[in-house]
Amino acid sequence: MKRIGAALLMALSLGSCAKPDHRTHLYLQRFFGECGAEYGGSTDVAKAEGECGIITALVNRFNAENPDIHIDVNVVAWPGYPQLTAQVAARDPPDLVTMHEGVISDYALKGLLEPVDGYLKMGGVNEGDFTDAARAGVTINGHAYGLPWDTHGGLFHVNTALFAKAGLMRGGKPVLPTTADELISQARQFEQRTGKPYLIQSNVGDTAYAARNLYTYMMAQGAVLFPDAHHIKLNTPIGVQVATFFKRLNTERLGTLNMDTPAAIAAFINGEGGIYPTGTWMIGSFQQEATTPGRPLYKSYAVFPYPRLWGEHVEYVSGHSWVVPTRKRTPQQRAAIARFFRFMAAHNFDWTRTGHIPAFKSVLADPRFASLPHRADIAPLAEIGRPVPSTIQRQNAIEGIVGEEAVAAFTGQKSIERALSEAERRVDDLLAEID
Amino acid sequence: MATRPGQARLTPLSWAALSLAALIMVAPLLWTLLLSLKHNADLVGHSGAALHPPYTLENYGAIFGNSLTLRWLLNSTIVALGQTAGVLILASLAGYAFARLDFPLRRTLFVIVLLGLAVPSQAVILVQHQLFAWLHLHNSYPGLILPGLVAPFGVFFMTTYMRGIPAELDEAAMLDGASRWTIFWKIIVPLTLPAQSTLAVFTFLGAWNDYWWPLISATKSNMYTLTVGLAAAQMNYAQTSGLGYLMAQAVFASVPIFIVYIVFQKQIVRAMAGAAVR
Repeated sequence: MKRIGAALLMALSLGSCAKPDHRTHLYLQRFFGECGAEYGGSTDVAKAEGECGIITALVNRFNAENPDIHIDVNVVAWPGYPQLTAQVAARDPPDLVTMHEGVISDYALKGLLEPVDGYLKMGGVNEGDFTDAARAGVTINGHAYGLPWDTHGGLFHVNTALFAKAGLMRGGKPVLPTTADELISQARQFEQRTGKPYLIQSNVGDTAYAARNLYTYMMAQGAVLFPDAHHIKLNTPIGVQVATFFKRLNTERLGTLNMDTPAAIAAFINGEGGIYPTGTWMIGSFQQEATTPGRPLYKSYAVFPYPRLWGEHVEYVSGHSWVVPTRKRTPQQRAAIARFFRFMAAHNFDWTRTGHIPAFKSVLADPRFASLPHRADIAPLAEIGRPVPSTIQRQNAIEGIVGEEAVAAFTGQKSIERALSEAERRVDDLLAEID
Repeated sequence: MATRPGQARLTPLSWAALSLAALIMVAPLLWTLLLSLKHNADLVGHSGAALHPPYTLENYGAIFGNSLTLRWLLNSTIVALGQTAGVLILASLAGYAFARLDFPLRRTLFVIVLLGLAVPSQAVILVQHQLFAWLHLHNSYPGLILPGLVAPFGVFFMTTYMRGIPAELDEAAMLDGASRWTIFWKIIVPLTLPAQSTLAVFTFLGAWNDYWWPLISATKSNMYTLTVGLAAAQMNYAQTSGLGYLMAQAVFASVPIFIVYIVFQKQIVRAMAGAAVR
């Protein structure tokens, strides 16, 4: 017994002899998953792959290059907003958080996020270098509420082998439509020559897909989706026109109808359709298939922003950003945040290897970016990308509602007018709850 | 084959029907296991690849490669065992009081406890979260365990069970000079062991599988329970590009539950059949 007591005393005294930690600690909370098994000790950003690998290596590298600062990382289940809200309610929010740009307004307009203009200035990050899409995504009432980290949106992922079979390749590039009628005629030609659907669609359980289509092609025609911060306008001649177009595609069976996201991805990978409109985040996986001999997509993959079908060439986009929740901080912590911003801005190119579009013009112009597969083709997204106005709150929930009703309209489950007016009513009810 | 007393002999048709039902029940579990043994990349295009080799343990390696996985397992174990012990103690004491003691407002209090069964946890989550914030109990074991101790079902269950034990046993013990505590501890508790084990199993399973409260109370990764930790470890689109890993997580998280089921099979079956309540 005495021996056990002595051992415990020794352990306690050894514990109390631990080195004092003089580093400035920042508490960073992020999604993108946990991959400590593969990248836990890695600081070689260039060798890291995927969102999780690259972000893990970047934070490790920051810690290694800044011995006076330590970033404690907390990985949360995607998207992490229930936890963040709980932390804010408990008055213990993190110092740095990954946030979708469409969510910034939910927190910033309640004073729960700090404007980051001061941090950007202190860190020497040039706001003028933000791309148009990135700046619009993080700016509210003239202040930046986050360091933009990327822009992401929908892309037309194309199976070029099937396009060639359909006679839709010119000069080694797929021929994409320039009008809605042209898309229908190309889709018919594709279906006749290949026996496969022109569009692979994830209409089931993927509300973002339908919402993205509706937003994009309404914005292209100059529609004002949100006339003010409490109302949405979808049941308009433009909204009906866009919905009618997608319904026509489905009625003529030019696109798949009953697929969820995994099924749609598998269908595209297995060469079961011509185009899969999905996000920037799938480029890496599809490129992997395109470079693996024997796979249906081998040497048969190209990718482009959504084509212009009406009006202006614009596309609905969102982005990831780094935000700073409001809380008391020491001057050292503020300086550390500024250094973190400078570091992350300097490494924005590394992040673009995930498939996302850079948030900085200088990275867009960087030859290293253009040399990545397909990046030259998708780079215009940074210019044509339009987020939902930053003063609109509850954008995620709104996208869910609009997506549900849009799918109902596109697939004929509801009449177009009914679906669009119900989307308006549901969104307006939601926005009416906000002070 | 000899039939044991009390065991019905199965007709071939019943046997076939039961086998088919068992197969339907087991198939998703086997499918999950097979998927967990495949490279993620092999499953992206066609999940049917799970039906043939090569198989790998790399997804399990990735789970154990995360330095926090064992910590999350420990957290879940502490929380589940803590809640189970707490519920058994509180529900037994309350059940004994409601079943045996005569005190003012007993019926009213019992009705109030029963009303607790009708209040969904989501309805009180905001107030509960605020309360624990004021008490600085978030990101702590007490913060994770205490809310689970509010167990109106446990109190109701133990009260009902104890009411079924003849009061003559208490009276005889009292004549022998036993105190209330002695009667409770030496006579009533041993007689309620079947109910205790049933309640223990349900409480443990509920605590182990809980996601909602740990998600918002344990916001620091070293305090995550296994359910929250595994969810946090998933990457976006895990269902497509990380299917094998996702399934390995499911298998890993369910192993302790599987062990509990095996060990307490009899009690669970009895509880399901309603036999535990006399």
